Amino acid sequence: MQTTLYTGYGVWDPVIWTIAGAVILLLVYLLWRGGVSTYRKGSEQERPYLSGNAEPEKDAVHIGGGNLYWGFTEGLKGYYSRLVPVHTGDLNDYMLWYFGVLVGICALVVIFQ
Amino acid sequence: MTLSSSFKRSLFVFHFNAGSCNGCDIEIVAAITPRYDPERFGVRLVGSPKHADVLLVTGPVTGKMAPRLRRVYDQMADPKVVMCIGTCGQSGGVFYDSYNLEGPIDQIIPVDVYVPGCAPRPEAIIHGVVTAITKLERLEGGEV
Repeated sequence: MQTTLYTGYGVWDPVIWTIAGAVILLLVYLLWRGGVSTYRKGSEQERPYLSGNAEPEKDAVHIGGGNLYWGFTEGLKGYYSRLVPVHTGDLNDYMLWYFGVLVGICALVVIFQ
Repeated sequence: MTLSSSFKRSLFVFHFNAGSCNGCDIEIVAAITPRYDPERFGVRLVGSPKHADVLLVTGPVTGKMAPRLRRVYDQMADPKVVMCIGTCGQSGGVFYDSYNLEGPIDQIIPVDVYVPGCAPRPEAIIHGVVTAITKLERLEGGEV
């Protein structure tokens, strides 16, 4: 069975890739087996070295995506401080805004037509 | 002592200051200068206890440093050897009756090699490391 694909840009053969993957897995296994056999699971050896200090809780040091936007929201604080409270999450409020704006536009159309 | 077999791998040393006046620390730094050059034998200081075979501890172990010393010791891989450098680590030295000492070192973690002195000379520290090597050889050979 022909497994090799020759193109103008190179060669593709799944058998070669499978063999390469097996060789890499074997190397990884040998490296893993050569590790420290006296390693104790669940001990301090698993935790990071922080100059001898205890590892802080993840919540205390985690930087979420929101932190990246801190400067952005701080710079537009005047805008967000007004707009965020309006977003109540209540559909009645949104419909009220919708009809209010609709009435306002209709009034403008009637006045300036 | 079979030094040749002990040097089949490098001996990595981690230094921990448990409240030292820095006298012993300066002598440790002097011991790794080109005048003595222990690095030619593969003996070198490393920045993490996870990479170390030997833990050099200086100072009488203050209250703040005791839990950190325990944690650093626990983070080292086995087999490991602890060296107490200086008189403070052995007995508290001039700080022996201080209110905030939890040491000496062997009250906190097991010590294998003591290098006395205030501060010990670099030659004494290197001799202590060689003594630690023989202990490591015995530990690796299954002896205690």
